[in-house]
Amino acid sequence: MSIFLDIKYAIRQLFKTPKFTAITLFVLVGGLTISLFTFSFLYSLIYKPLPLPGGESIFRLSISTNGDGRSIPAYELLEAKQGLQSIEHLEVFETTDFRISQQDVGKTLTGTYVENEIFSFTQTQPILGRGFTPEDMLSSAAPTVVLSHSTWQREYSEDSNIVGKVIRINDLPTTVIGIMPQGYHFPVNSQLWLPLPQRLKSLTADTREYIQAYGRVKPTFSKEQAELEIGQAMDAIYQQTARQFQKPEGKLAATLYTFPHAQTDGDGNLVFTFFNLIAFSILLLACINVGNLLLARAIERSKETAIRAALGAPTNRLVLQLMWEGIIITLLGSLLAVLLVSDLLDYTDALLHAEVSENLPFWWRWGMDVPTLLMAIGFTIVTIVLASFIPAWRSAKQDINSTLRDGTRGAQGKKAGKMSRILVTVQIFLISTLMLIGSISAFLSQYLLNMDTIEDYTRVIHGGIFLTDKNYKTPEQKIRFFEDFYDRLKRKHNVENAVVRGYFGTSELVLDGEDSGAQNQFPKIDTMSLIGNTEFFSAQLVEGRHLDKRDNPNAPKSVLISDSMKKRYWPNESVLNKRINIRLNDKLHSVHIVGVVKDRLNESSIFQGHSSEDEIYISGRQFERSYQRIFYRYSGDVTTAEESFYQVLFTLDRTIEPYRVEPASKNFDMMKKAMVMTSYITFGAGGFALLLALTGIYGLTSNTIAQRTHEIGIRRAVGATDKEVIQMLLKQGSKQLAIGLSLGLFVFTLISFAFHGFTDGNIPVVLYFVLAGTVTIGLLIVVLAAIYSPTRKAVAMEPNAALRYE
Amino acid sequence: MSPLIELNNISKLFVTEEIETRAVNQVNLSINKGEYVALSGPSGCGKSTLLSMMGLLDTATTGSYELAGVNVSQLNANQRAAIRNKKIGFIFQSFNLISDLSVFENIMLPLTYQKGLDKNQIQQQVNQVLAKVEMGHRKNHFPSQLSGGQQQRVAVARALVNSPDFILADEPTGNLDSKNALAVMNLLEELHQDGSTICMVTHDPQSALRARRQVEMFDGQIISDSINSLSVKAKVDSSTSQVSIA
Repeated sequence: MSIFLDIKYAIRQLFKTPKFTAITLFVLVGGLTISLFTFSFLYSLIYKPLPLPGGESIFRLSISTNGDGRSIPAYELLEAKQGLQSIEHLEVFETTDFRISQQDVGKTLTGTYVENEIFSFTQTQPILGRGFTPEDMLSSAAPTVVLSHSTWQREYSEDSNIVGKVIRINDLPTTVIGIMPQGYHFPVNSQLWLPLPQRLKSLTADTREYIQAYGRVKPTFSKEQAELEIGQAMDAIYQQTARQFQKPEGKLAATLYTFPHAQTDGDGNLVFTFFNLIAFSILLLACINVGNLLLARAIERSKETAIRAALGAPTNRLVLQLMWEGIIITLLGSLLAVLLVSDLLDYTDALLHAEVSENLPFWWRWGMDVPTLLMAIGFTIVTIVLASFIPAWRSAKQDINSTLRDGTRGAQGKKAGKMSRILVTVQIFLISTLMLIGSISAFLSQYLLNMDTIEDYTRVIHGGIFLTDKNYKTPEQKIRFFEDFYDRLKRKHNVENAVVRGYFGTSELVLDGEDSGAQNQFPKIDTMSLIGNTEFFSAQLVEGRHLDKRDNPNAPKSVLISDSMKKRYWPNESVLNKRINIRLNDKLHSVHIVGVVKDRLNESSIFQGHSSEDEIYISGRQFERSYQRIFYRYSGDVTTAEESFYQVLFTLDRTIEPYRVEPASKNFDMMKKAMVMTSYITFGAGGFALLLALTGIYGLTSNTIAQRTHEIGIRRAVGATDKEVIQMLLKQGSKQLAIGLSLGLFVFTLISFAFHGFTDGNIPVVLYFVLAGTVTIGLLIVVLAAIYSPTRKAVAMEPNAALRYE
Repeated sequence: MSPLIELNNISKLFVTEEIETRAVNQVNLSINKGEYVALSGPSGCGKSTLLSMMGLLDTATTGSYELAGVNVSQLNANQRAAIRNKKIGFIFQSFNLISDLSVFENIMLPLTYQKGLDKNQIQQQVNQVLAKVEMGHRKNHFPSQLSGGQQQRVAVARALVNSPDFILADEPTGNLDSKNALAVMNLLEELHQDGSTICMVTHDPQSALRARRQVEMFDGQIISDSINSLSVKAKVDSSTSQVSIA
């Protein structure tokens, strides 16, 4: 009954001060929403088990050679798995693009080559037809395919007679044998499944093809035991086959990840912790603010509390009574935050699936779920403790005697002042850290969004082609294939221009007479091969000529260089026909320069402007590369233009599976949208955090100064001028500012080092200093203003009034 | 000789949303150097407000105030602070010591707002007044560790540390028991005998009798002004509040 009365009293107090209630609620809902949304979004991204029966125990195998990740050698794995004790199931798969054609129209879909037990492993059976049998896996078997529900729905209008029909996949007649249930896209985002080709399982399978594996550990074995056993078993076989078939050397080691973890390359824990810490900092800021507001209210009512205590109310009862307002507001705030987060998650899910549905792993679904609700309860408890319990506890533990005797004078003495100073320092630390991290993110987003890449991707399609050593044994065969592809594609009526580009990484420019054979002392220059000319990428000719058919295998090797390279190494001389030496893949080549072209932006000079881009273009007719991308500018509609690519490909070699044939702007647009979104989120969350911090600092300072009004009155009574009082208070505020900022800058320095490594040093170090300087100055100004404002108010009161202030 | 304090037609009006209160109503009062004046009257009669205005802790709504021949009515906040710091010493009923500062630091406070004093000078002055109020043995204590009488003695020491022209005491014995009250009154008596000018607000008749001159207020006005030892009665013109001593 008495608790009921306390709750009623608290509700009445909240209604009596609607402005206070609204502000507190706003702050709490903001903080809780950001924290909860961040948790839920990342949890679904990284930790949520696969939505399949037994999904939590399914793992993905990752293999490394001497610590470097690599494609799984399927032969060794399939051989090794026979004797594994710790593994219940282990199968390999390869995800790639497939072209589904109907008459002259086709569509590229992501599909997976799988082993026959995939559907029984995931305990999901087709809703129509059947899954794969061991017979379907034989190389002599007729080609078969199982379609996803969405492919069946979208491409075949849910044709109930689809099973048994023959469709063309990569121009090969293939029989549809089954349709999987809605939402099933295991292992990642498969739209269709085909039997794993024998070539991928063979002893001499090309290790550059990206083969992966999934499985399940027996319940009696730990993950670590299984990793050790798989690694050792595979390595034992690999060491034999590697010697025999000249495979890359190295010791194999196995790591098991959950599928969501594997999707973030095993960095999920770091990402989850980092972003949740940032979001939790915002909740902490909100808690400090609300706690401070509630503390100020508790101080206002300290006389009432003292009277209750004097009348015999026990401490726990007093604490609870003081907490009810905070509890009610927090519960209401949490409820609103949960509703808001639920809507935000639904919106995020709809938005992401509308934009990039086919590229998203099938388990990436966002919405309100049990872990999010549990975390909401956790956050609510934390908020109640931080924002309600601590202020109530402090207020209930006051010196009753002095409060009753002197009002509030002296009741909030040294300890309260110290607590306020600590809280202000914490707020400054949190906001400076958030702003510094946010500034990097915002700067990068804005910089990349507004970057002039020169390249024009309007009406450009690109696609990758990988030629295996098995089918294209000699460099000449590979060169011929790409040259043929280029010639045929250019002859298409809807193709205006084309280029075949192979990225060679960096080559070393061996300057005359300096080749001592030592490594790492020559300039490293980005090098790419071209069939076609650089003007496709808007890199116009400055002097000389473009690479063309004259630069064939029988002719001396020719190169183009970028203008910046010419100016750097040969500023005052003509470079045309100049002979230079470049070391490419450990082989020294003597080449002569036939032309100089304009600079374009490349990865290594992304933050240094076009003038620092040194590039060498070699002829794709003279240097071979197994994997190259074909770019072409088309006229007419995009579907027909895409079809032209496949027509050329299937004419030349119908066994080749191209990689991502799509408009070149697609990735760029996606990246742009992601960055715009990141910018909005960063600015929104950063702005909210800044608002919280400033109002918090203002509130805490006001509260502290209000508690010191009497002291200020005394100081002024004995002759302190307004200026001296303001200086004293600002000096104290500056101390907190200095400590908070220093801690923030320290954390920022640590993060900057990590970020510098993460971005391979592409961001100039000076930028970190500029950002740190800008944020520090900005924060200095706004925080000092937040401290100055209540200070100014304090001295506006007549000393006499200050002396009587209670 | 011109008076040290001269108030001419001083009024103080407090206006809240609904009520307008005339706390001090056209008061004229002169206090000469070396006088010991008791300002008495019932609660709410305006004596503390008048004292605050005399101490430049508050400003008058109307009227003029001359301190040592200088009109201080129009001074800005900083000029008033400087006068408080150098010419006035305050003693309050509730002591008004800063709880986070030690006895020594509390007494030192007015000197910290003066320029040109070195550490030694400050220490010397503080120790001197500490000795005068017999609190030297408690200089490192905090106010909460002292009795009421001791706190008030510290407050008196703080009021003396800057060697003020006059001391304003607002109910200095109001929060003290009779023994401590007597000790504080004796201290004020000593100060007066040493030549200090004192103006004390009190509603205790016994304390008021210790002063040489007694000014009585009622409803914001001075109703009598008398010299205690000579039993001189003051005549008050009720229309102008002008006090004249016969």
